[in-house]
Amino acid sequence: MPDLPIYRPALAGKAALGGETIRLEALPEGHLLHVMGAATTEEIKAHLLGTGLKASSVRPAGYRQWFVAGNDRLSAMHLRALTEALAGRAFISDQSHGRIRIRVSGLNAAQVLNKGTAVDLHPSAFPEGSTAMTLFGHISMQLTRTGADDFELTVLRSFAESLHEELEALAVAHGAEHLAS
Amino acid sequence: MASLISCPHCGTRPKEEFTVKGDASISRPTADAGEEDWYDYVYLRGNPKGLHKEYWHHSSGCRRWLIVERDTVTHKVHGVSDAALAKLGGGA
Repeated sequence: MPDLPIYRPALAGKAALGGETIRLEALPEGHLLHVMGAATTEEIKAHLLGTGLKASSVRPAGYRQWFVAGNDRLSAMHLRALTEALAGRAFISDQSHGRIRIRVSGLNAAQVLNKGTAVDLHPSAFPEGSTAMTLFGHISMQLTRTGADDFELTVLRSFAESLHEELEALAVAHGAEHLAS
Repeated sequence: MASLISCPHCGTRPKEEFTVKGDASISRPTADAGEEDWYDYVYLRGNPKGLHKEYWHHSSGCRRWLIVERDTVTHKVHGVSDAALAKLGGGA
């Protein structure tokens, strides 16, 4: 985020919420790259491993588009290496400053998310690793299942607070409480 | 209107994720076409009973333009294809 003088996370000051069956937390603003081109998911995964970005995950974001996300800040060196590895196949737009990730987990996670999205979240239709570009209420987001009861929501930065508030209300309705941060 | 659209890229989604962008069967007249042809193209639209091809934009999903063939009487969707890929000849 070199053009912003002060680094200020969008969901700073939001304590995580936790209950027996639901947990809501803002994820660290590590890196989020928008990849566009005629590549394949496997190809991008291979290049991530090849450039030492083992902790990043690739999520399809529409026809010939992907988001590469991870919890760590990306060094200019890594970004350049990945750009060069994908040269001729795909372009990268660094959106680390533009999109925020929120994690919803717990036994009732799918139930809570289905209050806002119409995607079928049954494990047979949306297994681990699945991704969908969809809506939560009226907010566009990318929904990814990272575990059996573990989801990540990627949302535009300016909508992050609004989405987080909606999810907070839903989590509280399922018995979650603010956890001391 | 059809309430579920099967996007070729995203799967079955509710119509709220899409924006209807109008008749997909009309074609743009040539630049030197007469005023009447242009008037038809810009202003006149049919209101067909039965099969109808329309542009739908998956605005809250993959953001691709689709061609949806649907029946305005039964609300049945007969086919959904990617508009740009169809124009280029089908394949990705």
